[in-house]
Order: sequence, then C-alpha cells, then structure tokens
Amino acid sequence: MIGFFYELRKAGIPISVKYIMEFYRALQQGLASDLDQLFLLSRLIFVKRVEYYDTFEQVFASFFMGANAAHGIMDWEELLAGKPFQEWLRDEIESGRLTPEALREFDTEELLARFWETMLAQEGEHHGGNRWVGTRGRSPFGHGGQHAGGMRVHGRSLYGTAQKVIDERRYINYSDKSILAAENLRQVLTSLRSLRPTGPETELDIDDTIARTARNGGEIELVFRRELRNRLKLVVMLDNGGYSMTPYIPLVTTVFNKIRDLFKDVSFYYFHNCIYGTVYQDPPRTRSLKWEKLLSENMSTRLVLIGDADMAPSELMASFGSLDIHNDERKAGWEWLKELRAAFPVSVWLNPIPKDRWEYQSVTISRIQQIFHMEDLTLAGIKNAVAWLNVQGRAYDTH
Amino acid sequence: MQFEGTSRYYLSPELREILNIAISMEKPLLLTGEAGTGKTQLAFEISKSLGIDLEEARCKSTFKGEELCYVYDTVLRLNDSRFGSGSTGRDVNDIWDYLRFGPIGRAFLAEERRVLLLDEIDKTDSDTQDNLLDVLEDGSFIIREINHKVMARRLPIIIITSNAKRELSDPFLRRCFCHYIPFPSPEEMMIVVRIHYPDIPEHFLEACLTAFYRLRDQGFEKPPATAELLDWVGALRSSGARGPGAGKEISHVGALLKRTQDILKFKGIRKAARF
Repeated sequence: MIGFFYELRKAGIPISVKYIMEFYRALQQGLASDLDQLFLLSRLIFVKRVEYYDTFEQVFASFFMGANAAHGIMDWEELLAGKPFQEWLRDEIESGRLTPEALREFDTEELLARFWETMLAQEGEHHGGNRWVGTRGRSPFGHGGQHAGGMRVHGRSLYGTAQKVIDERRYINYSDKSILAAENLRQVLTSLRSLRPTGPETELDIDDTIARTARNGGEIELVFRRELRNRLKLVVMLDNGGYSMTPYIPLVTTVFNKIRDLFKDVSFYYFHNCIYGTVYQDPPRTRSLKWEKLLSENMSTRLVLIGDADMAPSELMASFGSLDIHNDERKAGWEWLKELRAAFPVSVWLNPIPKDRWEYQSVTISRIQQIFHMEDLTLAGIKNAVAWLNVQGRAYDTH
Repeated sequence: MQFEGTSRYYLSPELREILNIAISMEKPLLLTGEAGTGKTQLAFEISKSLGIDLEEARCKSTFKGEELCYVYDTVLRLNDSRFGSGSTGRDVNDIWDYLRFGPIGRAFLAEERRVLLLDEIDKTDSDTQDNLLDVLEDGSFIIREINHKVMARRLPIIIITSNAKRELSDPFLRRCFCHYIPFPSPEEMMIVVRIHYPDIPEHFLEACLTAFYRLRDQGFEKPPATAELLDWVGALRSSGARGPGAGKEISHVGALLKRTQDILKFKGIRKAARF
C-alpha cells in the first residue's frame, strides 16, 4: 500500500501524511470491501481537485489493476499493443515456445488465454508495479483484424465503477499537467487587500454607542457605521506582444490564472511593449478601450502592469515611437505612462526579467522604473509588490 | 447509517458509495459540478431518506462565517436594558437570551445528528472559508462575547456545494472529501426524466434526449441542464406535442435556452452589427 502513496506523489498529486492516516482509518472501518469501493475511497481521500482525477485514475489502474486486469480491460487493442503483452510475446518467440507458424494459427483469444496463464502464474513474483500500461498506437500482434469483434467483457464486480470510470476517462479534459511553479503564490496574492467601509451602515459601533449613551445620561443613542470589507478593484495590464515576452509566457500564465481565480473584481487589458493611449480588452488586441475611460477609474483601483519593459529606447522616448506603423500617436510612450501613473497612484510594474539583470538588459527598464515602482516576477518580487500596493493603497482607501 | 436514495431523486451508484463513505468517516463532503447536477438537492434527499433534520445555509458574499454559528443581538439587548423586556420573558442580565444560533450552531446543539448544507460556498470570501474550516473540523466554535465554547453533540453530516466559479483554498479542500459530479450520461438522464414523468412513452423520451444532448453540444453560452430538460419535457407533454421536433423546428425552445444570444444563435440569426 505504501507503494501506492508514493506512486501518487510521483505522479504529482499532493498528498500528506494526514490523508494516509485517514485512509487506514477508513480501511479499518471496512469501507473498502471491493476494488470499486477502494477506488472511490482512495479518490475521495487523496484527490482534492478535479484536475488530478485523470492522473489518479492512471496511477490507480496501473497499481491495483495491473496484475489482474483480465477482468476489466475492454479495449483489446490497447491490451495487445500494451507493454506486458508485447514483452511476453517477445519472450515466447525468443525462447522458441511459440513459433511464428503457431502464431499465425492461433487466434487472438487463444493468444490472450496463454498470456493470462503465464501472467497469473507469475503473479507471486512481481509486486504490483506498472504492469498494465497501455501505449496506444502500436499495432497488435497476432492475427490482426480478428480481435475485438464481439469480445467485449464487462466489468465483473458489483458496480464496475472503477473500471467504468477509468475506461471512459471522463475527466481527461481537466488534466492539468502544468502544476504551479510556486504553490505559495496564492497565499501571497490573497494578502492583497483594500479594506474600505462599504455598504449600508449596519454594524453597531459599540464603543461609540456606549460613550454617547453615557453622555446622554443613559438615554440610548445607537451609532452605526459601515463595515470594513475587502473591496479590491484590480486592473491588470499585460504585455502580450512581441518576441521579447515569449520566454516568460508560462510564468505570466501562472500568475495571470492565479489572479483571475482569486479576485472577483479584476479587469485585464493588453498592450504591446509600451502604451500609446490605448490598451486592448482582448488578447489579439482588436477591441480597444478608451484612454479617458481607463483614466477615470477610482484612485484606489490597484494597477498591476506585467511586462518586460524592454524595448528600443525610441519606443519609449521618441514622438511617434510606436512599432505599430498604423499608430500615429505623437506623444512619446513615457508621457503616456506618466499619465497612467498619475491616474493610478496605487500601481506596480511586474517584470519577468530577474531583478539583477535589469541594469544590463535594457536602458528602458530603468527609465520606466522612474515612473513605476518595479518588482520582478518571482515569489519575493510579488510579495514586495503586494506589500507596496497595500501601503500605497491605504491612503486612497478612505475616499 | 446507509443512504439509498429516494423515489424522487436518482442517485448514481458511484455517488451513493461516496456519500456513505463520507458519512461513516464523518468528513465534510464537497460537491462540485455544473449547475443542474443535483448537488443541493442531494442534501435534502439525505435528510428525507434518513429521516433527520436539515440545517441549511445559503451562502452570500457578505457572510463572515460567524453568523452561521451565532448572532449576538446587541441592539435588542440595549433596547431591553433601556425600555425593559416587558412580557417577552427575556432577561437583560442573561446574555443567552440574546444569542441566536445560525445553521451551524443549531446543527451542533441538536440532540440528534443533523444534515448541514452549506450551499454555494464559493460565493463567500476566502477569509470566511478559512474561518469555517476550524469550526467544521473540530465541531466547535467559541462565542466570543462570553468566551464560551460550543461543542457539537453529534458531528452533523456536512454537505458543501460549490459551482467552482472561483478556486477554493488548498487548506479548505484538504479538510473535505471532494467529489466532482459529471453531467449525467443519456442513460442516467433517462432514469431521471422517468422519475419525474413516469408514464412518458419510450420513443418520445429518446427523441427528446437526442435533441437535448445535441443542443448541449452546440456550445451555447448557457447550455441547457437538467432543470431545463425537465421543464421542456413538461411543456411538450402539456401542449400535447407528439415529438420534440428536430433541427430548427424544436418546439418550446425557450424552455431550453435562456439567453437571448443563444436563442438568436439557435435560430441562425446573427445579431445585426451596430454602427
């Protein structure tokens, strides 16, 4: 059993000792009387996110059903192409127990029967292991074309749940291989807050009520105030153009997804390299957003820019600096950025380029640093950025 | 304690096993999945079939967690202290007369085991979820005003639902059993519809389901779910239609598609571009 836990871990499913204890507790209660129950039980205990369902099923299948998959495999082609069968077949042929002539005479069913005989005889020797691993696509041996037809064997156990679920692979779409680069990113981001008195005045201010009542000579005077709540409004602008950002795509995607999941009130806009009076609402940058509308956001709105700030100096400093030939904006990039900064006093620029390389990478980085507070896109950098936004934001939250 | 499902609700064997495991392990069960997969209904069915009472908390974004355990009515107490409690029987000197318990509090204090439903937990702030964690895990909470610890007499059967609009925190997930309910397959759906319309003719039902699953696959903004299907079948039956119709001719499509965009798309009309 311990092996199973390690297989899960190896497959990237986060499990803790607590789960294992729970698992044994459940076993003691007799909650896993057959394979299906074992499957459901272990999935309930070990898998907390639907993204891992697929991985879990694969590990479970290879660990528990590897040895006696005879009852469960419905896809003969997969079995015939699978490694255990192929290995067995090779052994048989090499050792001379099966001649190629005999092979041609056997039909698939007979071949499989022999295969299972050998496998079951061996069962004492091998220890679970990844026996049953289907590698799709390799052509089956033996009499091609004869197998499959009418040979469906259905799951024998009570509900057939485990096998059915595994066979259907219902959750395959959710499989998410890209596990977070930084698990604690979430913790860092949740500390980003903007506490503001909001809503109707429903919270009783007890201290003030008592004070006023006393001053009133015992005549009760109720004092209500508005609750303090996290009403964070966040605007995120992403540089999604050009090749300079390409190496950082996975990193930015991770951060982007986390932000999107964590905050309710977030708007995302896109730009290319530098901002010249417009940002776009969609990634291909076709639907633009009016500059005035953007600048009219509440002062307490937090602005996060994500971009490498690495561009030709002229793009930032010169009039008509944009790379885009259709852009005939006269004002230079840095003037636009300054305007943006003035409209969003609580803002930070996150740069995927590591901090120690900024100086050498590009002069425009230090130029932009004069306008925006800049941090790099590491856990520490994001932590700093969050702290910076919280400190800066406090002054504007009371409005 | 074994849950077997009721006559008004179809329970897949998989879900039944999961429920029974969660009940005997005394762990909260977190159900996620598309709308219309019967997440909320499940709690009601458990309560009905096991014959135990249900405490229900429909979460709102303004919840802080504490009000689900108890509310201390300061205003009422102040009022009573000034104007007297009259014939209400409340004693101003006794804080217990001014504590009102929320669903969690009631479930903890009940003599018998209860079912506790926390509906749409993802609507609450992550702070609230974290607050609820400890309460649910230990089966106890503290009334801050008098530093009194309320212990659960029996841990309730806790069912939590989430539409997974936003991600729940890892610590929260860690303490629950999590199950994702997939959308019912046509075979299961057939059973579900039969529960509600027992005398529906076989071919009629099949035609409806074919049309229904075809519509679902067309990528509408809000794909029709179980509730819409049941409404639709009901509408077809009461209007005396012989079949659901096919293609663009599906009758009562308004019962299936709710959004204007979707209906226009279904009818093949593209919204005229405005200039």
